[in-house]
Amino acid sequence: MNWRSEAGRIYAFANRNVLMAGRNVFFVFELVFWPSVGVLSIGLMTRFLALDPEMTAFLLVGTMALSTVQVCQLDVSYAVLFDVWSKSVKHQFLAPVGIRHLALGSWLVGIARGLTVFALQAGLSRWAFGFDFFHAGAPALAAFLLGCFLTSLIVGLLVSALVVLFGTRAEVSAWATVNLVMVFCGIYYPVSILPPSVAVLASLFPLTYVLDAFRAHFGFASAFPHPLLTGFVLSAVYLGLARWALARAVIRCRRTGALLKMSE
Amino acid sequence: MLAVEVRDLSKTFRSGWFPRRLTRALRGVSLAIPRGAIWGLLGPNGAGKTTLLSILATLLLPDAGRVTVLGHDVVREAGAVRSRLNMASGNSNFIWSLRPPEILAFYARLYGLYGRALARKVDDLLALAELEPHRKVPYHELSTGLKQRLALAKSLVNDPELLFLDEPTLGLDPDVSMRMRAQIKALREERGTTILLTTHYMREAEELCDEIAFIKSGQIPARGTADALKRQIGIGDVIALRLDPPSCNRLADLPGVLECTSQDGRMECIVDSADKRLPEILRWLHEQGVVVRDVDVHEPDLEEVFVELAK
Repeated sequence: MNWRSEAGRIYAFANRNVLMAGRNVFFVFELVFWPSVGVLSIGLMTRFLALDPEMTAFLLVGTMALSTVQVCQLDVSYAVLFDVWSKSVKHQFLAPVGIRHLALGSWLVGIARGLTVFALQAGLSRWAFGFDFFHAGAPALAAFLLGCFLTSLIVGLLVSALVVLFGTRAEVSAWATVNLVMVFCGIYYPVSILPPSVAVLASLFPLTYVLDAFRAHFGFASAFPHPLLTGFVLSAVYLGLARWALARAVIRCRRTGALLKMSE
Repeated sequence: MLAVEVRDLSKTFRSGWFPRRLTRALRGVSLAIPRGAIWGLLGPNGAGKTTLLSILATLLLPDAGRVTVLGHDVVREAGAVRSRLNMASGNSNFIWSLRPPEILAFYARLYGLYGRALARKVDDLLALAELEPHRKVPYHELSTGLKQRLALAKSLVNDPELLFLDEPTLGLDPDVSMRMRAQIKALREERGTTILLTTHYMREAEELCDEIAFIKSGQIPARGTADALKRQIGIGDVIALRLDPPSCNRLADLPGVLECTSQDGRMECIVDSADKRLPEILRWLHEQGVVVRDVDVHEPDLEEVFVELAK
């Protein structure tokens, strides 16, 4: 294997996402407008409800996790969506590329954009609400962000699999799927308040554990033993499954001819 | 040495749930394409041309049969095949806001190019496709001709040994089509690329292809050189005669004359072979005392073969 060629293939997808991001005004909304609106509206709500600093931290951590996951996940989904929208899917799958190339390339750009969103929201939170995100320390913050980005990669790959299978009919999943995270992972509430059957579902999401571990640094007792370890192990398992799902979706498309139909 | 070998290839598309609709796109197709050849695939819409091309290009999986491309099985060794082939079609699309050099660089990277080799390849292809003046133009602002030249350029990013061209001159102006055909010929002559092309333009097939396969309803009922196909179909040559006196009904009784009609003072005889029958007809007319004022021989063109086969 030629490592420079491999890196080149990954870079091809990363560079394409960067070029597209630079030429579309809506990317500014994704990167600046919605994250700012999100953190400011939640922060102002904590003021209105006269919440104490711990509860404010709880909600702002959830908001930032959601925004970071959403932005990064969109970039991973764009690796397939751009080609579906432009009806050029067949060129990509005609070339000797694997899932790893498109996933890693677009994920790297997603991480960069996710970090930008996180930095913006962290800055706004500090300036407007006096919330210090860095209070947890660098290792905890790094683990939290890594957990968010892994969730983004998993969701992005699953969305890509749906888009490959169902074409533009499934594009809404790129924006909708992440809302499952909001319901099940305890973005705005602790998962302990969920009904028992739903709490079981919540325990299947890696982000639930990542949030739980990070909030422990802001005065909330952890609800799970070894939350970070559980979160990362689950992420690794789901990553494998998501990669398998996308690979199977591509094979199915090669069998049904959907790959060609999406290029017409 | 064969570039493509196909044996008993079948493909059926399934659609809908109830009732389940089955479309048999390919039914036991077999063919062999030698390396360095330009092969044409002709057939009416929905005949299975694109399906066949897509299976050979690893974009579609076959249901049954064996397909070997450049010595590799397209199902089990698709990865090994992909880096050595490429495809361009008349209705190719690329990401709308990217510019020609960016599109070429993206695909060149997917084929493993990097560094100076990548930059050189992009420049060479832009020059080849005469796209240099359009470097800064986003894809969606390019004209149809420029888009197709870009598609052809993209298909050359990996110097493919085997190139699939699906209607490469579809919708192009005649002068652009002519230049495109010249480029296709040059590819074979300069690089030895094996080319399999589908086209609706018979002149293009006749001009470019060493051999032509006619595909209809997922089967290949006829194949060969353009001349061999004309002979195989047996449409016959037309000998048009202006005679004095203007009509001679007994011509139809001569051996090799398939049909004779008289119109506007001219007789038109369809014969099995003009080369063979013309001297015989002229001799017979002379013996009958008929004066021949004018003779015109017309061989059937590929378009007539196409119409006959498509019936």
